[in-house]
This record gives sequence, structure tokens and C-alpha cells, in this order.
Amino acid sequence: MILTRGMVARLALLMAFTAIAQLVCFSKMDIFGTSPDVALLVVISLGALGGSLTGAVAGFSIGLLIDCLLLETLGAFALAMLSVGYVAGRYRETIGFPTRGAVVLLGGALTLLGALVIAAIQIGTGIDATVSFLVVRDALIKSLLGALLAIPVLWIVRLVVRSALVDERRAARRRPMVGRGGAAQAPPAK
Amino acid sequence: MYRKQVRRRRAVLLLLVAASLTLLSLYYREGNGGPLHGGEKVVSTIFSPLQNGADRALKPVRDLVNWFHETFDARGENDQLRDQVADLRDQLARSQTTQAEAKELKSLDETLSGGIVPDGTDPVTARVVGRSPTVWYSTVTIDKGSGDGVHVDDPVVAAEGLAGKVTQTTSNTAQVTLITDADSAVTARVSSSGATGVVEPDVGNPNDLQLDYLERGTDIAEGSMVVTAGFSTGDLGSIFPPGIPIGRITKASVEEQQAYQRVHLEPFADLRGMSFVKVLTTPSGGGKQ
Repeated sequence: MILTRGMVARLALLMAFTAIAQLVCFSKMDIFGTSPDVALLVVISLGALGGSLTGAVAGFSIGLLIDCLLLETLGAFALAMLSVGYVAGRYRETIGFPTRGAVVLLGGALTLLGALVIAAIQIGTGIDATVSFLVVRDALIKSLLGALLAIPVLWIVRLVVRSALVDERRAARRRPMVGRGGAAQAPPAK
Repeated sequence: MYRKQVRRRRAVLLLLVAASLTLLSLYYREGNGGPLHGGEKVVSTIFSPLQNGADRALKPVRDLVNWFHETFDARGENDQLRDQVADLRDQLARSQTTQAEAKELKSLDETLSGGIVPDGTDPVTARVVGRSPTVWYSTVTIDKGSGDGVHVDDPVVAAEGLAGKVTQTTSNTAQVTLITDADSAVTARVSSSGATGVVEPDVGNPNDLQLDYLERGTDIAEGSMVVTAGFSTGDLGSIFPPGIPIGRITKASVEEQQAYQRVHLEPFADLRGMSFVKVLTTPSGGGKQ
């Protein structure tokens, strides 16, 4: 990812909007008894587009902002989201840009991973109450919603950061010019 | 070059993980007035106008999605009317939301009628503007804070029943920890038998609460109403005034009462769907009477 000042500002806005929208909108939605974790999908998308470093930094930033806005334990969401962003970025660096099928699988699997990390942190910090089996159901439905929403979220995030993507720039350079005086115009037949 | 990149990547990752773990441990160690809690409140205060604006702006989207979900649930009944309803979807969603809000506010007032609110208490109506995205934190953020007279430990009531208590405040927002949160415990009384116990949550299952520490041999019938006990012993007193409805007993097996001194209840308040709450503020704060 090529980071200019403008792109950094755009990323910061995207991350702030994501954190706020997650808390005021997506978390309040009721889909099969749970709510979609779109903030996690944005982190996965940034990791898949920009690599592990971008994914980890984006995950940490969005997570920390969510921690602050919820007035909850600082670092809990930050740690969960940075793990997810890093894994998504490593996927891109080792296997390549994910195909559509892989995006769906990544969305589902990494949403589940995020839920597991949050659960591990909660259990690690001491939950003084019984934990219902419905927690597992909630994580599985969240993961399913993550798989369903992964492609549209990746598409939107890609639109926002398009000009900073190395692959997109290469593709734009390779694209032939057409029309009058275009370099790729075929020579007249003799 | 590649090695340098790998080293940099690992260094940044380690730094971020270390930062997260340090924040986690420091946050737990320091008190409520510590610098991390303070910093968190500052960020929350700065973002709260944006949160309020976004809450209003994104409400139609949220309502539309929730509307779809409700429609899916009631698909059998709605099949014949679907075409007609599709044309009116947006209009209907808006008008239903307004109506539901009015109904919720009316119900909220009714819950607090009948002498439940102690003298000197000033109920402040607040809108729920944020909700935790996981089942681990049963907390919501409301749009009223210390500037509106809201204090930590003030009881919070939703339409139909008790919602929780205020656990953190900024000048214009507050965090409410719901009765379904792992940290929550409310002394309660079964209104029919007078038996007292402590209402605790079953994490991940917002429709089930447990009334623990009941006296063995107490006769508790399913369907009985559970209200706050509001005990007071000298200087020590419950932060919840007595008589606020909490829920209805759904399961009271003799075996579980004998073995665990426990029965199950369903909360009256719709803690997932509530849009408005009332905070019972007092001039001294802390909900104590």
C-alpha cells in the first residue's frame, strides 16, 4: 500500500467511521439473534488489500477506538482486531490476493477467530458468572454473517483505498490507451 | 531488502501486541480515576457528538435491516401482503419506529409510576446511542452524562423493568452496565413469597437470569414476579430502590432449589431492543437513598 498524506487521512476517516458505525448501527441490528461485526470485516479487508502490517495497525486502531467509545477495558478489542488484521495480511503475503471464495472463507473464519480471541481475553480476565452455551451459537452466526458480508465490505474498502494499492497502479499503467493518437491503436492496414 | 521488511513487520506486530497487553494490565490495575480511564473518557467525550449524529443518521438503515429480520420471522403471515408492503416499506419503517418509541416512553413512565421512585429522585430520560458488539460486555451507551446530573451507580430503568446501573460517565454520555452483564448482581425479592436472593446473569443468554442464594425450603411458584429488594442496613444500602420490577420466574424446580438455591427468571425489560431508558438520578449521586 502506498501511503500519502491524503491516503492516511482517508484511512483515518474510514477507521473512525467504521468504529462509530459499528457501535451505533451494526451492533444494534438484530439478525438471527445477533449482530454483524462489520468493523472486523473492514480490518480483514484492509489486511487482505495492504498486507499484515496494514492489517495489524488498522485492527489495533479501530479496536482501541471501540474500547474507548464503549468505555470498556482498553486493549481488549485492540488485541483481538490486530490479530485478525495480521492473519488476513499474512494470507495475502503468503498465498496472494484472495479469490472470491477465499474472501468468503476468510470473512467467516477470521470473524470466528476474533470472537474466540475476545472470549479468551474475557475468560482470562475473569468472568464471575456462568457462561451460556448460546455464546457459541452467537459466535457461529456472527461468523456466518461475516462470510456473507465479506465480499461487499471488501469491495467498499477497496474503493476507498484504491489509489494506494500497488496492484491497482500497475494495472492502470498496463491498461492500453485507446482512441485518437493512442499508443495501442493498431497501425493502418496496407 | 526482504529481510528488512520482515524484521520491520515483526517489530511493529510485537510493539502492537505489547501495547495491547500493557493497556489491558494497566487498565485493570488502576482505579476508576486513573489516567487510562481518564484518557478513555476524553476520547469518548470528543466522539460523542459524532456518535449522536451518526446514531440519528444511520437509524433508517438500522430500522430497515431490523424490519427485514422481523419480516423474515413473520414470513408465513406476510406472504399475501408482501407486494403491497414493499411499496410502503420505508414509510412504514419510519412510522413504526416513531410509534414504538412513543410506546416505549409511555411504558417507561408507567413502570416508574405507583410510588416506586423515591423522594428526591429525578428521573432523566436518555436515548441508547451505542451498544457493545459482543455478548461478553452487556453494556450500552446513553446520550446523557454527568452534565445532565447522571452519576456512577445511578439505577437505570427501561420500559417494563430494571435495566442496570450507570458504571461510567463523561460530560454528555454514560455507560450503563445491564443486569445481564457478568459483573452485575442485584438483591431481589420474590413479590408473592417475600423470599430474597441475588439476581445474576447467565452470560450469553440475555433472556435468562438466575435468582441465587435463596433460602432452602422456600416455596417459589413459576410465574411469580421478582422486584428489587432495596435493602438498607445502617450506612450500607442497595443502590436500587425497592419495588422496581426485574422479571418473572420461568423455572423453579425443587431439585435446583435444593441443590443450588437457585431459580430462573426472564427479565421484563427488552434489553436488546430498548431505545430509551430512565436514569434515577439523585443530587448526591450513586443511587443511594
